[in-house]
Amino acid sequence: MRDHLVIFVNGRRHELPRSLAFEPLTDWLRYELRLTGTKVVCAEGDCGSCTVLVGRVRAGRMEYATVCGCIQYLFQLDGAHVVTIEGLKYEGRLNPVQEAFVACHGAQCGFCTPGFVVQLHALLEGGASDEPAIRRGLTGNLCRCTGYEPILRAASQTDVSQMRRLEQLFPMPPQLLAEMQRLATEPVLITHGPHVFCRPDSLAAAAAARRQWEPLQVYAGGTDLGVMFNKKRPEAIRVLSTAGLPGLDSWELADSRLSVGANVRLSELQSVLRGAIPELAEYLEYFGSPQIRNAGTLAGNLATASPIGDMIPPLFVLQAQVVLAGPDRRRCLDINDFYTGYRRTGMQPDELIERVIIPLPRPDEILRLYKVSRRKDLDISTFSAAVWLRLRQGVIVDIRLAFGGVGPVVIRLRKTEAALRGRRLSGETLQAVQPIVRGEISPISDVRGSAEYRNLLAANILRKMHAELAASATSSNGQD
Amino acid sequence: MSYVGRDIPLDSARGHATGESIFLDDVPPLPGELFVGMVGSPVARGRVKRLELEAVRQLPGVAGVFTARDVPGHNRFGPVVKDEDLLVDEEAQFIGHPVVLIAAESRPVLERAKRLVRLEMQELEPVLSIDRAIELGQFLSAPRKIERGEVDRALSECEHTLEGVFELAGQEHFYLESQISIVIPGENDTYTVHSSTQHTSEVQALVAEVLGIPFSHVTCICRRMGGGFGGKETQAAQPAMMAAIVAHHLRRPARFAYSKDEDMRFTGKRHPFKIFWKAGFDSSAKLHAVDLRLFSDGGFSTDLSLAVMERALLHCDNAYYIEHFRAVGRVCRTNFPSNTAFRGFGGPQGVAAIENVIEEIARQTHRDALDIRQQNVYRDGRDVTPYGQRVGNNTLPQLFATLRQQCSYDERRRQIARFNSQSQTHLRGLAMTAVKFGISFTRKALNQANALVNLYLDGSVVVSTGATEMGQGVNTRIRQIVSDELGVSYEKVVVAPTSTEKNNNTSPTAASSGTDLNGNAAIDACQRLRRRLLEVAKPLLSEKLGFDVPIERITIDQNLVFDQSKPQEPIDLAIVLQQAYEQRISLGERGFYFTPDIDFDRNSGRGTPFYYFTNGVACSEVLIDRFTGELRVTRVDLLMDIGRSINPGIDRGQITGGFIQGMGWVTTEQLMYSPTGQLWSHSPTTYKIPNLSDLPAVFNVSLLPNDGCLQSIRRAKAVGEPPLLLGFSVFAAVKDALRQASGGKRIDLSLPATNERIALALQQAILAPPPAPQPAPSRQDPAVVASSQVP
Repeated sequence: MRDHLVIFVNGRRHELPRSLAFEPLTDWLRYELRLTGTKVVCAEGDCGSCTVLVGRVRAGRMEYATVCGCIQYLFQLDGAHVVTIEGLKYEGRLNPVQEAFVACHGAQCGFCTPGFVVQLHALLEGGASDEPAIRRGLTGNLCRCTGYEPILRAASQTDVSQMRRLEQLFPMPPQLLAEMQRLATEPVLITHGPHVFCRPDSLAAAAAARRQWEPLQVYAGGTDLGVMFNKKRPEAIRVLSTAGLPGLDSWELADSRLSVGANVRLSELQSVLRGAIPELAEYLEYFGSPQIRNAGTLAGNLATASPIGDMIPPLFVLQAQVVLAGPDRRRCLDINDFYTGYRRTGMQPDELIERVIIPLPRPDEILRLYKVSRRKDLDISTFSAAVWLRLRQGVIVDIRLAFGGVGPVVIRLRKTEAALRGRRLSGETLQAVQPIVRGEISPISDVRGSAEYRNLLAANILRKMHAELAASATSSNGQD
Repeated sequence: MSYVGRDIPLDSARGHATGESIFLDDVPPLPGELFVGMVGSPVARGRVKRLELEAVRQLPGVAGVFTARDVPGHNRFGPVVKDEDLLVDEEAQFIGHPVVLIAAESRPVLERAKRLVRLEMQELEPVLSIDRAIELGQFLSAPRKIERGEVDRALSECEHTLEGVFELAGQEHFYLESQISIVIPGENDTYTVHSSTQHTSEVQALVAEVLGIPFSHVTCICRRMGGGFGGKETQAAQPAMMAAIVAHHLRRPARFAYSKDEDMRFTGKRHPFKIFWKAGFDSSAKLHAVDLRLFSDGGFSTDLSLAVMERALLHCDNAYYIEHFRAVGRVCRTNFPSNTAFRGFGGPQGVAAIENVIEEIARQTHRDALDIRQQNVYRDGRDVTPYGQRVGNNTLPQLFATLRQQCSYDERRRQIARFNSQSQTHLRGLAMTAVKFGISFTRKALNQANALVNLYLDGSVVVSTGATEMGQGVNTRIRQIVSDELGVSYEKVVVAPTSTEKNNNTSPTAASSGTDLNGNAAIDACQRLRRRLLEVAKPLLSEKLGFDVPIERITIDQNLVFDQSKPQEPIDLAIVLQQAYEQRISLGERGFYFTPDIDFDRNSGRGTPFYYFTNGVACSEVLIDRFTGELRVTRVDLLMDIGRSINPGIDRGQITGGFIQGMGWVTTEQLMYSPTGQLWSHSPTTYKIPNLSDLPAVFNVSLLPNDGCLQSIRRAKAVGEPPLLLGFSVFAAVKDALRQASGGKRIDLSLPATNERIALALQQAILAPPPAPQPAPSRQDPAVVASSQVP
C-alpha cells in the first residue's frame, strides 16, 4: 500500500514525505513551497483569503472547484491538482481578472485579493455572468477595506473573452489523468508518530482499518474536522477517508426519491436539488459559502450532529433515511431516530454513513425552510426551522415541524404537530399552539443569540410562514 | 501634464492582484530565526500564583523562555501615559496579558510549548463594564469638557426636553493581516524591526525602551500592512517589543505573529461608550440646548483613550448648530485589552450621540428627522462650533439639500409609509445623516511630517516619508504629487518603505492625515530641489535657445526642461541633473511641514483644533423582517465633499470601504463576552463583518464639486475616516422603521442594531407600553460630581 502522498501544484508533481501528510495545505504552500500569494487569516474557512482551486479527475477529465486551503489537510489532496494564485498568471502577464482588479481599485490592502481573484476566475470560468451570480459566488470571501463595491465593479469589467480555461493553462495528457485518477482512489495508509491516514478502497477494508487503527475519525470534506484540527491542534490526527470508497460520490433521482452518496459535495447536491427540491436548494445557498459547499458533504453535516446543523431540520420533516454501512451489514434509519443527544448519533463505532435518501415532496405538499443568523451569508444559524405541511381548503391535513438551535439536538415538534393537525391554518390557531411550542423547546443563550430571541423566533416562525403563504396566495389570486 | 487628479491604480495593485506583494509573514525566515509566542493571563484580573516552565524549557526546539524579570529595559510603557506592563509583573490586567514569552525553532514547537506552560492565577475581581467602573469611580482620566452657553438654564426654559441613555458597543478592527513583527539583531547592539505598523517611530521608541538602548540603535521599517484601521497605531508595538526581548537575549532574529483568534482576543478595539443625553428644543424642533455625558471603556490602560474621548467630544455637535451645548467625557478603566484607535477615533461615537438625539426628537415630535437636521444644520450666522471654531467653506446645507433631491427622499418617504401600512411581513425605514469630520490630530505636535526626496542622475526619484501604507493609497497619492512637483514621469518615482532611518520622529499614519501631512512635506522637499534644478537649467537653456531665459518661465514636465515659450526645444532633465552633479549641487532634500493655524486649549475646551472639515451625507433605506428582525440595507446614497480629489478612484474606494465598515459597526458586528470577560466572538465564525451580500443592491456614491478648500493639499480633503461615520445612517434608518412600527412609542435600541435586538425591539414596540427611560446619573453620582467640577 502506498505510504506517501502525491500532490500536483500549478502543474508540478510533488511527492510528500509522511511527515507532511498531516499539515494544512496552506502551511505547505506558504512555508515549504514559498507560494505565499495564498494568505491565511482565520484558519477556519470563514474568510476565503486562502482560496485555491482543487482539480480532480472525474469522468476522464479534470474538474476544478475552489476551496478554503486553510482547512484542507494535505492527506485530503492526494492525487489532486492544486492551482494557486501563482498559477493563474498567463505566461507572466496578468490575467483579465487581475487586470480588472488593478483598473477598478479592487484591492486596497491586498490581503484578501488573491483569494478573491482565484474565486472570481473560477466563477467566470464556470459561466457566472450577471451581477446576482457574481454576488452569490463571492460570499465566501471577506474584504475589510473596499466595501466590496470596487470588487463587484472589477468582476463586471473583467474581459471574459480573454480568459483561459484551466485545462488550457494546465493541459493534462491522458496518461497523467489516468495516473491522477488512480492516485486519488487507490488504497493509502500513512502513519507518522501518533497520526494515521487511511484511505481504503472498499467497505470491508474500511472496517478492517477501523479495527486495526481505532479510533479513526471518518473524513469526507473535512470542513468541520479541518477547523477542529487547526484550532485545537490535537496530539493525534487519525482519520479514515471515504474518498476511495466506491459508489459514494454518485447521486440518483428515481421513484420520487433522491439518493445522495456520502461523498457528494454540497455544491453538486445543490445543483441537483434546484430541479428536485427547489426550496432546499435555495436554503442550501446560505449554507457556509461556495468554497465550503465545494468541499463539504451532506453526510458530514449530518454526522457532526450539531444542534444547528443546517441540513438536519429539512431532512427531519422530509423524513429522510440514512443508510449506514457496517462491516457486514447495511441498515436504514429514519433520520428522526438518528440523533441520541448533543453531538451524538445512533451510529455504531464501526458504521459510517453511506448514503442519504431524501423523499421528494409531492406537489400538494408545502415545504418552507428558514435560517436565521447574525449575518445572512457565511454564518452559522442562530435558529433554523423546517415546516412540511399539507393543506386542504385552509385546514392543516398533516404537518411536520423541526427546529434547530433551540435544544441540544435538532427537534421535531411532535406535540405541536398533533395540536395543529385538523385545525384551520390561521392566526388564532398559531396563537393557540404557542404554549405547546414553548414547551417543546429549550433554547439557551450563546454567542449566536439569547434564549429570549430564540424563543421569540420559535414563536414567530410559524406566523411568518402563515403570512408568506397568505401573501403568495394573494399574489397568485391576483394573477388569476 | 498633471498626475494629481487622475484615477491611477494603487501602486501595489499588480502585486496585490498576483499575490506577489510581500507581507511580513510572507518573508522567508532568516537562518536561525525564532518563532516567538506568548502565554497570557487566563483571567481578566489576577496575580500569578504558580508558574511552572520546566516542561517548556525541556521541550526540544524551545530556544528560550522569558518573563517580566527578563526585560532588559523598561517593562512599563504607554504611548501617552506609561501605565501598561508589557509582561505581567505584579498584576494581570486583562485576559491575554502576556506572562511568558517562548522562543521556538519552529511554529509547531511553539504551539506545543505554549500548552506546556503551567500557570495558575489568584483571581481578583475584574471590572467588566462601564457601569461597574462608574460605580467604583475607576477612571483613566479627569473629566474633559466642551461647553458653550448656559445649558442648564436653557434646558429648564425650553418648551420641550427629552432625555435618554444611548449605549454603543465596540468594534473589532478585523484587519486581515494579524499583528506581526520580525526583529533582527545587528552588530553593536542595534536592531532592525520589521513591523506591520501605522507608526514606525513609536515602535522604534518602544523597542528601544524595552531593551534599554538609545532610539538610534533601532530602525523600524514598514513596507505595508494588510489593513490597519487604527488597530496598528499603538498596538503594533507589543509584538515588536516581545520579539525584541527574544532577539536581545538569544542574539537571533525573532518573529512574533498573532493568529487571528489571539489578535482578536488580546488586542484593543473601538471604545464602547455609554452616553447620557438631554436635549431641549422648541415646537419647530429647533435645538436650543444639548447636555451630554459620555463615558467610554478605555480598557486596562490609557493608550489613546484620552485623545479618542477628546475627538468624541469635538464631534458631538456634528453638523448642527447648538446654542447651549455641553459635552463632558470620562474614560473608564476596566479589565479588557486597552481599547485603541479605530478609524473615526471617537468621532463615530460623538456623531452617533447627536444623530441619535435627532432621531429621538423626530419620534417624539412626529416630524421628519431630515427636516430637523436641515433646520439645525450649520449655516451662515450659525456656523461657530461649541469649541469656538468657525465652520469654514461650509458645504453642509448644500449636501443635505442636494442629496434630498438626488435620492428622491420625499417620494420614498411616502412610499415607505404606504408600504409599512400594508405589509404584514416587512417593515422599511429611511434616514439621512451627516458627517462633519475635523481634520488634524487634536494633539497639535502630531501635525508635522518630514520627507526625504532623492533624485538620481537618470532622473528617477525615491521619496520616503513617515506615512505608512495600509491600502489607503497614501503611497500612490504621494507618488502623484512628487511626479507633478518635480516634473518627472510617474513611472520614475518610487515610494520607499517607511523607515525610521530615513524619517525620524514621525507621526502615526492616522487621523486621515497621511497624505495631507506627508504629501506637504514631500512638496516642501520637491520645491527646493526644483528651485535648484531651475537655476542649473537656466544657463543651459539660455545657451541652447540663444537668449536669456527668465527662471520663472522654465518648466519641468515629463522629464523635460523647457522655456514655456519654446516647449518644442527642451533639454533632457538628466542633462540638467548631470550638470548639477558636476557643479556639486545636492540632489537630495529633506522636506518638512506642519499644519498652520491650528490651536486648541484642552483645559478651556476652546480653539481651532481642525484645519478644515470633511463633510458628507448619507441616506440609507432598510428592510426589516417583522418576524425575525432580520435586517437588509436595500439602498444607500452617499454624497461627499472631499474637495478636489488627488485620486478619484482611490478616494472612492475609501468612501465605499469606510461606509461599509461603519455599517458593520452599527449592524452585524457584535462583540460577545462571557461573564468573566472572555471574548467569545474571536474569529469570523462568530464575529460578522459585512459580506458582499450585505452590500446594498443600490449603492450610489457621488461627490459634491468643491474647489473652495484653499488651504488643503491641492485643495483635496482627507477622506480616510469620514465616510465611516456615515454608516450611522443605517442605524438611524432602523430607528426610523421602529418608530413607524411603534407609532412613535419610545423603543430602546443600543448599537449595534443586530437582528436580535431589532426583533426584540419590535416585539416591545407592538406588545408593551413604552418603558420608562433610564435616568441619567444623579448629581450625587460620584462620577458626575467629579465631571461637574471641571473648571
